[in-house]
Amino acid sequence: MTTITTEPAGSTGSAGPSGGWVPSALRRRGSRRRAPYGVLLSFGVLLLVLAWSLAPGLFTRQDPAHGVPADAFQGPSTAHWFGTDHLGRDEFARVVHGSASSVTSALVAVAIGVLVGGLIGLLAGFLGGWVDVTLARVVDVLLAIPSFLLAVVVVSALGFETINAAIATGVSAVAVFARVMRSEVLKTRRAVFVEASLLLGGSRWHVLLRHVLPNASRSVLNLAVLQFGLSILVIAGLAFLGYGDPPPASDWGLLVSSGKDYPLAPWLVYAPALVTIATVLSANRISRWLRNAD
Amino acid sequence: MAPQRRLSTPTSDSPAVQPLLRVRDLSVSYGGHQVVDRVSFDLPRGHSLALIGESGSGKSTIARSVLRLLPAGVGRATGTVELQGQDVLALPERHFRPLRGRTIGFVPQDPSSSLNPVRTIGSQAREASALLRDEAGHELDGAAQRQAVVDVLARVGLDDPERVLASYPHQLSGGMLQRVLIGLAVLPQPALIVADEPTSALDVTIQKRILDLLSELRDSLDISMLLITHDLAIAAERADSVVVLKGGTVQESGPTSQVSTAPTSAYAQRLHDDVPALNPDRYADLRAVGEARRADPASAPKIEVRGVTKRFSVHGQELTAVDDLSFAVPAGTTHAIVGESGSGKTTTIRLLLGLETPDSGEIVVAGERVDGRSHAELRSVRRHLQFVYQNPFTSLDPTWKVERLVREPLDRFRVGDKAGRREAVREALDAVGLDHALLARRPDALSGGQRQRVAIARALVLRPDVIVLDEPTSALDVSVQADIVQVLLRLQAELGLTYVFVSHDLALVRQLAHTVSVVRRGRVVEDGTVERIFDAPREDYTRTLLASIPDAGAARRPALAEQAS
Amino acid sequence: MGVTRQPRRAPRPYLTYAVQRVVQAVVVVLLAYCFTFLVISVLPGDPVTATLRNPQNNFTEEEVQRIVAYYGLDRPVWVQLWEALSRFVQGDLGVSLRSNLPVSTLIGDVLGSTVVLAVSALVVALALAFGIAYGTRNAPAPVAKALRAFPSLFLSVPNFVIGLLLINVFAFNLGLFQVIDSEGPAATFFAAIALGIPVSAQVAEVLIANLDHEARQDYAGFATSRGLSRSRLFWRHLLKPSSLPVVTVIALTVGELLGGALITETIFGRTGIGSLVQRSVTTQDLPVLQAVVVLAAVVFVVVNLVVDLVYPLLDPRVDLRGAARAPRTAAEQPLETTQGASA
Repeated sequence: MTTITTEPAGSTGSAGPSGGWVPSALRRRGSRRRAPYGVLLSFGVLLLVLAWSLAPGLFTRQDPAHGVPADAFQGPSTAHWFGTDHLGRDEFARVVHGSASSVTSALVAVAIGVLVGGLIGLLAGFLGGWVDVTLARVVDVLLAIPSFLLAVVVVSALGFETINAAIATGVSAVAVFARVMRSEVLKTRRAVFVEASLLLGGSRWHVLLRHVLPNASRSVLNLAVLQFGLSILVIAGLAFLGYGDPPPASDWGLLVSSGKDYPLAPWLVYAPALVTIATVLSANRISRWLRNAD
Repeated sequence: MAPQRRLSTPTSDSPAVQPLLRVRDLSVSYGGHQVVDRVSFDLPRGHSLALIGESGSGKSTIARSVLRLLPAGVGRATGTVELQGQDVLALPERHFRPLRGRTIGFVPQDPSSSLNPVRTIGSQAREASALLRDEAGHELDGAAQRQAVVDVLARVGLDDPERVLASYPHQLSGGMLQRVLIGLAVLPQPALIVADEPTSALDVTIQKRILDLLSELRDSLDISMLLITHDLAIAAERADSVVVLKGGTVQESGPTSQVSTAPTSAYAQRLHDDVPALNPDRYADLRAVGEARRADPASAPKIEVRGVTKRFSVHGQELTAVDDLSFAVPAGTTHAIVGESGSGKTTTIRLLLGLETPDSGEIVVAGERVDGRSHAELRSVRRHLQFVYQNPFTSLDPTWKVERLVREPLDRFRVGDKAGRREAVREALDAVGLDHALLARRPDALSGGQRQRVAIARALVLRPDVIVLDEPTSALDVSVQADIVQVLLRLQAELGLTYVFVSHDLALVRQLAHTVSVVRRGRVVEDGTVERIFDAPREDYTRTLLASIPDAGAARRPALAEQAS
Repeated sequence: MGVTRQPRRAPRPYLTYAVQRVVQAVVVVLLAYCFTFLVISVLPGDPVTATLRNPQNNFTEEEVQRIVAYYGLDRPVWVQLWEALSRFVQGDLGVSLRSNLPVSTLIGDVLGSTVVLAVSALVVALALAFGIAYGTRNAPAPVAKALRAFPSLFLSVPNFVIGLLLINVFAFNLGLFQVIDSEGPAATFFAAIALGIPVSAQVAEVLIANLDHEARQDYAGFATSRGLSRSRLFWRHLLKPSSLPVVTVIALTVGELLGGALITETIFGRTGIGSLVQRSVTTQDLPVLQAVVVLAAVVFVVVNLVVDLVYPLLDPRVDLRGAARAPRTAAEQPLETTQGASA
């Protein structure tokens, strides 16, 4: 859904110690700083969600697919942390069991973005010339189509399944990765240490693989974390519109979508929504921390 | 003009008069990290005081505390800073603001970033002229303000004030911008100007003119000055008294003549010894080894550059970066290329390294032609021809560890086996005086001096004959510079290396080079031995450059006596 | 060195630049058309003929033949693409498979509603973003600090959740608007908030980062030393250099507004481009889908083209002969700013 801020803060000129007076005492700190509590908490949230998706059975013993009709529409309680839905199914169990599909599809989307976008950016930035011009137009096209609309078109072409929603999200993220990778490669290619390596007898490929790639991939890693959160949002949006697996699957977006039909049981919307928000917020926070630690 | 540089009021004989600026026990910390520790000094009215120190000494932090420009929310200052008897640190901002500009002015360090890039200079000058008051204490009208701005810009030596006012900052040169900054600072006629390294971003000849301008304005407008500098020689030439700082504490303070000629503290003594301008013959012994090689009539030139010309096309305009340039360097000696920015010295070394191809002329290094060869063909030359970059903060890959960085040339040229390379890396580290414990560190975890030593070790590890050094110490503190220079000279004496040393710092060149080419606009203005160039320059430009070396002798002159009469 | 001001830019580079950008924009739009066409053709099976032959759709055999001939469905994909592209260049967007109406009519009917929604959302987003950014520099410290968390939070909330929340609170609980009257001003306002909030987060994030960056620059300290107050420093010095680059970010969010309209229109029950897409996706009405995507790309490309053409005239730092003036690199920085303790 969001594509613009996924560029590292550098999009508006290098932040950090460029220009301006910075006390020398503050200048060299940063890289060795301990992670603040917010970041540790964010790691905790992501780990928990990951654990939910790997082994949902460890966290809830309730059945996500079959409920007790007599228990329908119960509010949050110690027995049902997130309440129950119209069929008396435990909402917490549904959220936990739904996380596997949400998390996996977000990872698939990020992987597509990193691999395809990264490769495009790497080739464009390193080879330059007509390769760069051609690839730049391809990226322009991908950027020009609103990413959510693009995801919708791709998923409707592939069929309404969650895995297709993940692929669609990945395709819509390719442009952002390509752009960041290209600009990082260009920046690194002009770096003094790259010229130094050439002077020391390094070949083009040596420089590309050993100097340019490791340096450029830092920003890409950071973007990947951010994009993980954003992909969860896009996939939730697609699921919300019904473009993912149909019920009884319990993707977070689908849970919100079916919950919205029962305004008198607001927990059916807020519980999966809050889990989504917490996950995305954590990814954002970690990405921001990685960016500043560089 | 030189005798008038100093101001009349002697420090000692007016104890009853309250100093203009009185700093007592000033401590500053950033988030628990103390950077200034109980610093005290006085600046009497009409005086100039230099705070001098290397990076991390806290000198800029002190200046910022006096100006109340510490980064908001991060810096915490305690102690007292009294300006005309008022404690600056205790004042609320709205009471301090009226003092800004009118009582205490500021000349920042870097002229290119000190004016808003998206506003014209005229619109920014209006902020300074709005501080002017007529006799009745009213703000001047628009026309009078504008006239005042035009006058002050003319006063600081800008020929065409109207054009300057209509310009954006990036349309003016660094020297012009620094004049604008000084003009804006003196316009509201403050009692005190804080100048934070006002010339360190400028070329040497412009440095001298800007410092002269500051001295002259100070005299004629009766402004006191707090000068922040890393350069003891500049402080010695320009200030009445000096405070030497290290790690946030005062090492020594007193009248300039005393501190700069007979420092008592160990640190000030060391600093004094490390300043090239004050110690031209410091490395005479090591330098003599190369001198003997140069004088040996049998020695053949290791490097020959003959009639090299290089043109660039910039926005459709032909620009001759290097114009019919020639020089030769005898084996085992140091040849310095001296020039200001835009003189073509960078292009010259890029040509020498085969990074650019000359349009005409030829370059021979150790008997092999460099010009007109491809990257692959140059490999054999590059084994013998190594390069050390100016800035060790950009020339080392931040993701690599020291061991791998130093070993990279061996790996690329496939020299020896694994054990042999390991050994060679450690020898190179020994040669530059680095501890083997640093092998596992990344550049981030090294100081600037350590990084530059790593860069030199990398250049040495292939055992080359020639090393080209592009201002290898200009990004480093003077004490670190002294260490590096020592290492370079020792290696030359031991291994018979030939250096091409590019620099703008004539005092440094005098310490270590044997022959010199003075270049300007791509052409050699004058060349010859160091002794000949420094003692008997033939060209005006060389003389101008030499005159820009801070005149340490001024400090020894009894300046106060001249003024007293 | 005449007294008259020298022209800052020679006219020729700007003209060259402008022509280049326009050509690029046209190429991108055409490529976008081809790209969507190919993506849609990847569809397994033959949904068009399947739709046409579906007895529920009541196409006569004659109509089916006409549509098949019109789209060239019996010919290879490349031929179809070429013909579709030629029709597109002539301004023909095709015919809906569902309603048998020209696609341009279908889009024209709902375009107004979406434009109103998107423009209101942009206004909401800009007001919010500038409000937040202003607060981070001028509000008391605790408020400023809290405001800094907003962009990140706004970015993390799915926009359908924002919409549902607004409906729950303002329509059901407070009764400020009727969900039934989905096109009324009150409902449009809340829909605009739902659509605008994620966009405001992006704008605010960049704006805050720029303001922080500018406030750290030497010129801010120098201006303060001339006696400027905090708020005058903000308005006279920081705002312009910080918000100029934001113009380009705003142009980039156009796609976001169009994409987000899909969900917002569904939730608020509005008819618009978004709901048209929704319907076309479920009914596999590919010509409509194709047209909407291309339309969105055209809007995006045109807006960004205009911004790119106007920007160099706004920002004196941009020198068209080279790239924008880059911030100084560490290599150019003078001695004092580069760390170098004794080895």
